[in-house]
Order: sequence, then structure tokens, then C-alpha cells
Amino acid sequence: MALPLKAAHASETEDFESSRNIVKFTVFKGSDQNHAQKAELASFEEALLPHLDAAHNLARWLLRNEQDAQDVVQEAYLRAFKSFSGFHGSNGRAWLLTIVRNTSYTLLKKNRAADLTTTFDEEIHAPGHESVSPATILENSENAELIREAMDELPVQFREILVLRHLEGLSYKEIADIAQIPPGTVMSRLSRARTELKEYLAARISKDK
Amino acid sequence: MNCEEATKLMDGYLDGELDPMTSQKIEQHLRDCRKCEQAYEAHTALTHAISRGAPYYKAPAELRQRVQSSLRDAVGVRASRSAARENHASLTSRWAKRRPVLPEIPWNWLALAAAIILAAIVASSFLPRLRPPTSDQFLATQLIASHVRSLMADHLTDVASSDQHTVKPWLDTKLDFAPPVVDLSSEGFPLIGGRLDYLDNRPVAALVYGRRKHFINLFVWPAASDEAKAPKTITREGYQLLHWADSDFNYWAVSDVNVNDIQLFKQQFETRTPRH
Repeated sequence: MALPLKAAHASETEDFESSRNIVKFTVFKGSDQNHAQKAELASFEEALLPHLDAAHNLARWLLRNEQDAQDVVQEAYLRAFKSFSGFHGSNGRAWLLTIVRNTSYTLLKKNRAADLTTTFDEEIHAPGHESVSPATILENSENAELIREAMDELPVQFREILVLRHLEGLSYKEIADIAQIPPGTVMSRLSRARTELKEYLAARISKDK
Repeated sequence: MNCEEATKLMDGYLDGELDPMTSQKIEQHLRDCRKCEQAYEAHTALTHAISRGAPYYKAPAELRQRVQSSLRDAVGVRASRSAARENHASLTSRWAKRRPVLPEIPWNWLALAAAIILAAIVASSFLPRLRPPTSDQFLATQLIASHVRSLMADHLTDVASSDQHTVKPWLDTKLDFAPPVVDLSSEGFPLIGGRLDYLDNRPVAALVYGRRKHFINLFVWPAASDEAKAPKTITREGYQLLHWADSDFNYWAVSDVNVNDIQLFKQQFETRTPRH
């Protein structure tokens, strides 16, 4: 009689132990997950928060409105964080700017379709007359207000490519990835953007005179 | 180089994005042509004007806080599904309140679409070694673009020689691998030269072969060990792309020759390349 009792007692103890283990395990698992998420957030912030200025600058130029730019940047960071586990590259800035750009265009499409219709056709737009000299451009280059206004008047694709090239200093390859155009198009679009800007500047300078 | 070509390439020259040979031709043209030089100076002046005059909109401090706190929320959200849904709903409704034209459902679909596009970009640019077979299409686009560019921009070869013993050492010094180079003149595919190119996020060797009046670009770069070995053909926009790999290298032949010619080319190339 003594033996079975002992056995029963032993098995009870075991059950108790194992269920306690399960409880412990669950608790650990929960805190591990929490910990992993915090670690992921930390590495995300370390990789991408340094590019907050670049993100804001691009959104601000594309949307020409501070409130919209901030909304888009916030949304873009959330989207980026959601897909961060799939990001293994070294170029965090280009990756983030791609998301900022897409988020900006989504907003433009929804709210300001008119902004997007002032697009251009690289074939139809033939270069116009060049009435402003390099010297005149250089004389006016410190006039920030003039440059900003002229750039703001350009179609969004031109503004975008000028900002990526001149304010972010990105390569054609990076620009092609961000703007989702073939690498061969980057050069021709930059060329058109500069020609167009030159004409806007020429018009403004001659109006001011 | 004429004015039309110079105008087309001028901005690439200005941005330092052209290869040395084309840059030299542009320089020569700018020395000779007052009108193009003037246009070039105007674009140079513009780039200075933008860099100096255009404001760089730095993020205000409150935006940093806003972004960080929304990220904290997102992490909290993941702990529980229902909380996630609630939080997401509150976020979208906040958006919707401020921007009534942004309804909830399309936003989600757009987010999904954006995620898919992003995943494709990320996968193709950052995970070349884990490339799923479907992203061959993306690579194919790059390959065709490289092939077309090589014919268009007057930049078929960096080293023009039908002598494999000239082309091979040249490529070996420029790359961190030594691609096989063979002349196939007797097989009807004369070697024209070699070129450096950039594909799949790495410098690659481009060998240029002739076939009657056509050109074949053969792109070569080291193979990842887990790469699929089965040859495959892709036909796109009138171009034939043929891919194969051996134990050391990936090969992509791109041309507008017919499919038989490109298959024949592969056979001849393989027969003449030393086996490993």
C-alpha cells in the first residue's frame, strides 16, 4: 500500500512542478517579447532617427505645407518601423526617403490632385529661350526667398529631383530608387528641372527689374 | 560629339555621373562650342544657387517628440491584437478628422500596396543573395537598361580589343574578381571589348561580343553558392536575356539577336571556358 501512495504523491509533485514551470515560462516569454520589441525600436531609432531632418525636408518641399509635412513624416516613420524587419541594407536614408516620398504622393493624390496634374512631359517640353545669364543667376543666388519661390513654382517631380540632388546630395542611382524612375531618366529629368528653374528665375528677375 | 548630344549629357557631366571617356568628350565639346559652354555655366550657376539659396527645412524639435511617441505607441500596440486595432483605428480616425478626404479603407490598401512595393525594392536592392526567382524580372530590367545604354551613350567598351589577353587583365585590375574572357571570332562571335558596369548593387564585368551587325553584352559576376544553376531565358521588349551559372560565376547575356543565336553563343562560350 505504501508504494502506490508514494507513487501518487510523486506524480502530484511533478504535475505541480511542471505547471509552475509553465507559468514561469509564460511570464518569461512575455517579457522577452517586450524586450525584443524595445530592442527593435532602439535599433530602428538608431538607424533612422538621424534622417529625420532629411525626411522632413523632402516632405516639406513636396507638400509645401508644414502641417502636412509633419503628418507625413510621422506616418512614414510608422510605416518604416512596420517594415523594418525586412530592411537589411546600409542606406537607411534612401530607404526612409522612399517611404516619405510615397506617403507624400499618397496625400497629394488624395487631397491635392491639382498639384500632381501640373506634371510635365519630357518630350513635349522643348527647352525655351535662355534669357538669363550665368552671371545674373550667381548674383541672385544668395537671394533665398527668390530661389525658394522659383523652386516652389516647379512641378512636384522637378522639385523632388532638385531637392534630392542638391539638398541631400544623393547619387543618380539613389535618386532613381527613391523617385522610382529608371536611372537613365534621372539625368534628363534633372536637366529639365534646371532648365525650367532657370526660366522661372529669368521671369522673376525680369519682373523685379 | 555634337551640340544635341552635349546638351543631353551636360547635366550628367556637371554632376560627375559620367564615365571618364564621355566626360572627356564633353570637355572637348565645351572648349569648342561657346553656346554649349554658356548653357553649361548657367546650369552650374543654378546648382550653386540652389545649394546656397534654397532652404533646408530641418525638423522642428516637436516633430522628433511626436515621431518618437507614436513609435512607442506602436510598440505597445503589438503586445495585443485588439489594442493594435484600437490604436490603429484611433490613429486613422485622427487622420481622418484632420484630413477628411483620407478615408480609412483606401489608406489601408495603399499601405498594403506601399508595403509590397517597398518589400520588392528592399528585397532587390538589399538582399541580392536571397533573391527569389521572381525578382529576375527586376534584374532583367536593369540588364536591358544597361545593354541599351551601352549602345546609346557611345560607351560600348572601356577597353576595346579583340584580344582576350588585353581585355582580361584590364578587367582583372578593375574588379575584385577575375572573369573568364574568350574570343569567339572563329565561332562567329568576335570579342569587341570589355566594360565595367554596375548591376545588382555591385560592379560587374561586361564583355561585348559582335554577331553580324548586332551586339551581345555578357554580364559576369561571382555566383553566390545558393544560386539556381538551371539556365533560363527571358524575352522582353524584343531583347533576349539568357542566364546561366557555373560554380564561380553568374552569366547574363543580353542582345537583340534571335534566341537561337544567343543559345549558340552560350554553348560556344561554355565550350571555350575552362571547366572547374
